[in-house]
Amino acid sequence: MNRYHVLPTILLVTMLVTAKPSAASESKLGAAIAGATEPVSGQLVDAVIPLPENTVLAREKHPSGSFWVKTRKDQIERFRCSRCHSGKANQPQVNDGLKLAHGGINLSHGQQKLPCTTCHHKEQRDFLALEGGDKIDFDHAYQLCGQCHFRQKEDWIGGAHGKRDNYWDGDRVIWSCTECHNPHSPRFETRWPKTYSKTLNK
Amino acid sequence: MCSSKKDKEQSLLLQGRPGKKSCRNSRRTFLKGALAAGGAALLTGCGAMPGSSEEFALGWSEYFKKNYRLMTEEEKQETATRLERLADLKRKENVQISTKEAVGNVLYGYAFNISRCEGYMDCVDACIKENNLDRKEATQYVRIFEMEHGQMNVESGNGKYFHEVPVEDKFYMGAQCFHCEDPPCVKACPTKATWKEEDGIVVVDYDWCIGCRYCLAACPYWGRRFNWNEPEVPSEELTKKQHYLGNRRRNKGEMEKCTFCIQRSREGKLTACTEACPTGSRVFGNLLDPNSEIRYVLKKKKVFRLKEELGTDPKFWYFMD
Ligand code: HEC
Ligand code: HEC
Ligand code: HEC
Ligand code: HEC
Repeated sequence: MNRYHVLPTILLVTMLVTAKPSAASESKLGAAIAGATEPVSGQLVDAVIPLPENTVLAREKHPSGSFWVKTRKDQIERFRCSRCHSGKANQPQVNDGLKLAHGGINLSHGQQKLPCTTCHHKEQRDFLALEGGDKIDFDHAYQLCGQCHFRQKEDWIGGAHGKRDNYWDGDRVIWSCTECHNPHSPRFETRWPKTYSKTLNK
Repeated sequence: MCSSKKDKEQSLLLQGRPGKKSCRNSRRTFLKGALAAGGAALLTGCGAMPGSSEEFALGWSEYFKKNYRLMTEEEKQETATRLERLADLKRKENVQISTKEAVGNVLYGYAFNISRCEGYMDCVDACIKENNLDRKEATQYVRIFEMEHGQMNVESGNGKYFHEVPVEDKFYMGAQCFHCEDPPCVKACPTKATWKEEDGIVVVDYDWCIGCRYCLAACPYWGRRFNWNEPEVPSEELTKKQHYLGNRRRNKGEMEKCTFCIQRSREGKLTACTEACPTGSRVFGNLLDPNSEIRYVLKKKKVFRLKEELGTDPKFWYFMD
């Protein structure tokens, strides 16, 4: 078992012991929040909020309407894949080609090795593919990930997983799954912290 | 005559601000000196000699200005303009000081995902830069602590880890000002130099703070920071986009704290810590919008707040998946 599995259970137990169940609705604040049921439409602050470049309209619905995701194709160095992967055979015929071309890819996604074509389209390499074979644009990889990780995708749409870009107000722009997760080894890497934190009373 | 609570409050504010520590003398002795010796005493009485008569005049107007909350729209604009000019004269810093007000229908709230944070502390660093925090004393508004399982007390968390993160079997927890709806710090202030804005942000009028630190003592969440010394931020590292109630330069003897990056949030931006977080553990937004991310978290996740029994109603929730 890793930390992601252990954590919630232990925390929940401690929480129940140390904290009262959320008294949110009993308080003034709780009442204010509970009372705010009317969706707020449009931008609230008086400021210019530009839609960042390199975003696409998400192919998902959010209660507030449309939202945008940051694009990925412009970030993928080898795109377009069809420069090499084209023609009938669709495979460049080279010895050790996979290693030569994509040697940097070290699949470590879950316990079993997922074959490349679980995610990549079999014929058209410029696209990803759903289980049924439907083509998925690289900019909408969340549709692919959501196939297996529906809980995370739901939270991502709602806003508890992933990240909004830059502004809380105005048009909603969020990061796509692959902005944070390398699909081939999606776990976050360990690294040195940027700085340290002083003790609380300092 | 009827004297409402508001009148009383106003008269207290209008009595003028008590002595500022940046000038060693109390205000009273300062004034006495000024009367006795005329302008010369003013020039020498308060530390360094102002560089020019313009600087002197600006400094004079600044010294006698009102509490920010009592200023008219116009007076706010004037003091911001004076401060911008002074920054230029004193340090050749080209800053823009906003006085942007809260807008209706907005109440800021914050949520922190303790099962997602990896302890990288990009947030801590971003906050220091955005808010022009004292580099010498290494002042921090935002902190991250490495926690043992089952431990919920940030006071005993370790913030000085020197190893790669995350570590298996540990989790990471952030702490900062929780912007209580019923903030004990505000009640403790004898000069009304700190208050809660309409959008829920607890702010400090640095120029009205007398440095008594009652607020610091009253805060159960370690949310406030005191400048024991003259804070130091190199001009070239200064964030130039500022707010009067936010990241403008503070002085020795003044209290400061997280303002939910008021200079950013009131422009529709996320706080610097939220933006810097590479894991998406930080959620900031409008509590009055049922479709906001923060409302989704409150509705769908197991959330809790620290020391809820105190009834301070913090607008900062921890949650987990
Ligand atoms: C520089 C040429 C080149 C480019 C550009 C390129 N590939 Fe490849 N790719 C290869 C070669 C060579 C192989 C190895 C084929 C083999 O050995 O049969 C390969 C193999 C693959 C395989 C494994 C196929 C299998 O069935 O084992 C996948 C998946 C793949 N590429 C995806 C992509 C994607 C997606 C892109 C675009 C983002 C891309 N490639 C861009 C040259 C390229
Ligand atoms: C879990 C699904 C998944 C699997 C399995 C997978 N890929 Fe990918 N791959 C993706 C996604 C999604 C992207 C787009 C990443 C982005 O947005 O940056 C991608 C990007 C790529 C790219 C372009 C970026 C790069 O790293 O060069 C190549 C090449 C590629 N994959 C090859 C492969 C090969 C070869 C395999 C099998 C060994 C494979 N992929 C297995 C989902 C997958
Ligand atoms: C075919 C199903 C499938 C698809 C598609 C898929 N994953 Fe996974 N993923 C898995 C499995 C299985 C695991 C292992 C789950 C476990 O150990 O609990 C996993 C684990 C993960 C993890 C946890 C880290 C780890 O290694 O255990 C992350 C993060 C992740 N996936 C992200 C993604 C992202 C991002 C995408 C889209 C690019 C994606 N996944 C697409 C099946 C899938
Ligand atoms: C802002 C960055 C970010 C984005 C965007 C993001 N994730 Fe994650 N995700 C994380 C972090 C951080 C973790 C913590 C686990 C780790 O260390 O890898 C995580 C964990 C996961 C896990 C492991 C199980 C869990 O819940 O902890 C899965 C599966 C996953 N993400 C899928 C997705 C999918 C699917 C999307 C898009 C719909 C997505 N993520 C978008 C940051 C992100």
